[in-house]
Amino acid sequence: MFHSKKPAGSMNHNNNNTDRVVVPPMCVQGDSGLVLTTDPKPRLRWTVELHERFVDAVTQLGGPDKATPKTIMRVMGVKGLTLYHLKSHLQKFRLGKQPHKEFNDHSTAKDGERLALELQRNTASASGIIGRSMNDNVHFTDGIRMQMEVQRRLHEQLEVQRHLQLRIEAQGKYMQTILEKACQTLAGENMGAAPGGGGGGGGSSNYNNKQGEGIHVLTGDMKDFGSPVLVNFPSIQDLNIYGGSDHDHDHHQHHVQHNMDKSSPLDDGFHMMPNTHHHENNIMNCPPGKNKRPINPYGSSGSTSNSTSTVGKSPLMWSDDFRLQDQLGPGGSSSTTLGSQDHHDHHDHDPFKATDHHHIIHESSNFSSSEMFETKPVLSGDIHHHHHEKKFDAISSSRLERPSPRRAPLSSDHHHHLPHRIISPPPHLMNTSAAATAAAAATPQGRNSPFR
Amino acid sequence: MAMVVDQTVAEIESSGYSTTTTTTTAEDEHGCNWNDWSPMVDWDAISGSYDDFHDLLVESITEDNSTAALHPHPHHDPAVAIANMEAEMSGGGEDLKGLRLVHLLMAAAETLTGVNKSHDLARVILFRLKELVSPTNGSNMERLAAHFTDALLGSLQGSGGVHSKHMQNSGSHHHNHNHRDDDYRQTDVVAAFQLLQDMSPYIKFGHFTANQAILEAVAHDRRVHIVDYDIMEGIQWASLMQAFVSRKAGLPAPHLRITAVSRTGSDRRQSIGTVQETGRRLIAFAASIGQPFSFHQCRLDSDETFRPSGLKLVRGEALVFNCMLHLPHFNYRAPESVASFLSGAKVLNPRLVTLVEEERGPTGDDGGGFVTRFMDILHHYSALYDSLEAGFPMQGRARALVERVYLGPRISGSLARLYRSRDGEYCGRCWGEWMGVAGFRPHSVSFANHCQAKLLLGLFNDGYRVEELGNNRLVLGWKCRRLLSASIWTGPPQISDD
Repeated sequence: MFHSKKPAGSMNHNNNNTDRVVVPPMCVQGDSGLVLTTDPKPRLRWTVELHERFVDAVTQLGGPDKATPKTIMRVMGVKGLTLYHLKSHLQKFRLGKQPHKEFNDHSTAKDGERLALELQRNTASASGIIGRSMNDNVHFTDGIRMQMEVQRRLHEQLEVQRHLQLRIEAQGKYMQTILEKACQTLAGENMGAAPGGGGGGGGSSNYNNKQGEGIHVLTGDMKDFGSPVLVNFPSIQDLNIYGGSDHDHDHHQHHVQHNMDKSSPLDDGFHMMPNTHHHENNIMNCPPGKNKRPINPYGSSGSTSNSTSTVGKSPLMWSDDFRLQDQLGPGGSSSTTLGSQDHHDHHDHDPFKATDHHHIIHESSNFSSSEMFETKPVLSGDIHHHHHEKKFDAISSSRLERPSPRRAPLSSDHHHHLPHRIISPPPHLMNTSAAATAAAAATPQGRNSPFR
Repeated sequence: MAMVVDQTVAEIESSGYSTTTTTTTAEDEHGCNWNDWSPMVDWDAISGSYDDFHDLLVESITEDNSTAALHPHPHHDPAVAIANMEAEMSGGGEDLKGLRLVHLLMAAAETLTGVNKSHDLARVILFRLKELVSPTNGSNMERLAAHFTDALLGSLQGSGGVHSKHMQNSGSHHHNHNHRDDDYRQTDVVAAFQLLQDMSPYIKFGHFTANQAILEAVAHDRRVHIVDYDIMEGIQWASLMQAFVSRKAGLPAPHLRITAVSRTGSDRRQSIGTVQETGRRLIAFAASIGQPFSFHQCRLDSDETFRPSGLKLVRGEALVFNCMLHLPHFNYRAPESVASFLSGAKVLNPRLVTLVEEERGPTGDDGGGFVTRFMDILHHYSALYDSLEAGFPMQGRARALVERVYLGPRISGSLARLYRSRDGEYCGRCWGEWMGVAGFRPHSVSFANHCQAKLLLGLFNDGYRVEELGNNRLVLGWKCRRLLSASIWTGPPQISDD
């Protein structure tokens, strides 16, 4: 497509000084020097020169709103130019800057770049591009070129997506070092202190209960705080649905799917300072399985058997950390990613290269960018399942919470508005109803603010 | 004082005023017309028959009669308005209650400044508000109103230490062990920081947008030097380093040097650790991923002025100035200090200047009056609160922590500054505009950057949006309210001949 165009482009260069025209392929040259297609409605290519003459004529006639195709034709006096050409060109001209942009580029070879620039402004949306290409009445080849451009853009988008994923992970990793530091400080200062009450029962003493060796920094009412938070943070995994890694880990997908159906017991808390070997099981436990976050089947056993030390140092099981955990394989080879204390010693294994160990749902590795818009449906099984679950929960939770007419529609059309949206249903709407009930009961907060 | 007020207010409540007000504007579904609000409460719309005890009230709470003289017309008396609003508050839904809280706050703000100035009335309103709301309970609006009330009261009483006072009040519920408060604070800060990061896109948006711009600007450089105005815990640079080491086409990671601008004073209230700790952490992180890295500090003068001469510059380094200003977890920085930093950037002609700042509502060139700005701040934080709640409706305690650690103190700070400058000139400003005026050139936001922001927001709940303004600025908003913007600049054109 591009190469089919190239002769035309170069020709244009050669002819630059004549007041003539670009020859698209499959065109016949009229005796006027204008280049027309064999189309019944002959198209012509508006070269820079031709456009300039057009603009001159329009200005001469008092601006685009005063000029008419007929008068322009008379003023321009170019043979072969028809009312039909002028009409459509004037129309575009009136519509705005578009023709300017289009004609400021001096060669067709630059069209790609121009388009790219344009796209930068309008963030590639396929429908937009296609729409524009229809409106602009461009050549077939232009259409194809645009399609390629779309693909390129989508590819870039995928790249961005992959990078974003890595960056979020890096931040999560860094965050972990901060948490560890805080925990160590706290632990050090608490060494001599008397152990606090066992469970961190109420809301009154949530912030510093010592229980055995683990310090529950944020324990207590898990339903209100820990668990949903744990479950609900958006994870990079969402991004992962469309892949971005080049590695193939089908077994991962297996695990994921497998575990979708399982649920782990809800732990009584999570530990900010698990500098102990007694809590691995707790640490490794994932929140209720109803959430869409895959659960590591090797969680408990893995931690006890081979990654005690690393896992034991994981300070908090929130959000991003979770994801890492999901990836813990049976062999524990990737477990280095979890213990950030460890990773300082593992220069050979780069813990921040997510590509080594990330793949949750793997339909993605081969997909061409053009398929991207359809991937939502492609992701079959669990995702759809969650759609429903989500809707259900959205309704039920909002009912529990307080009638909130705006919430339900918001979530239900969540997936249709933005075709390029790459996340799956927000996990926060997927609490078990029990948790939702409890939490709603615990925090009777409606959407009360008038600023909405 | 408080006792007296309570009694009088109780009287008002039982007096059975009629309860009609016009309060429909805020009911707009998207809250878009917030700024159409008249900054003045429409007192005339609040009907209420004249009553003798109005005078009584005013007399009982004022040392002199100036207030009564100021308000010859009973309908224009905020005290009456309180009575009305409170009467209304007993009925109606939560939304209505929120709205009335807004009106009370507005009334309070109005009594603090302008022609109707009366500190005593302000106290009446604020003490009453304080009874109605708590920073830890109730709806968003109620909690917000509590923070605003505390902040205004703090300002009114001239107690500079709004924060500490406020923190003690609101934080007293959560523990009473015999440990030092600092420890908990530190733990809370860390926890809140993580929550804030995970619950909302604000921090990541600022960091990633700036980083992406930096990455693109130094794509082919072998040495990069970033001067960071407020490095905080340094988390911004983790993702940049990661991106550096995974540069395309086998390009080796450039050597990265970060100079953290640090204050001589110890303003660590909400900071996680010191600049030195941040440096150590960054060095360890860089080492762990194989990123060549060095860390430096550049102290501000005692008056927080930045001196470019304090920087150690190396020829051949791509110089980048990074200025994160109003991320939700950041401390306040004096405008003079920021200006000195950005002016310094101008002198050194960096490759890029990245700036992240809070967006303000359209309050006019002069920034509007006190009440307008007050309402703008209220709007800003209500959007922030709402965004957090919408994403995590069930995580009341998580949000409470974030609010207590970060947002509450910020509100106090903003209002205290606003109050101090209430009759003076508008001290807040938009640094983006400042940059343009100062001669910096806008540097356009790339497709990838815009795309990244959109993808990032896609990871969070609906309601966030990103828009591009003026080609070099990405703005993160909640619904129709703009909250945070990241803008990219290059140094002014150099006339030098090298």
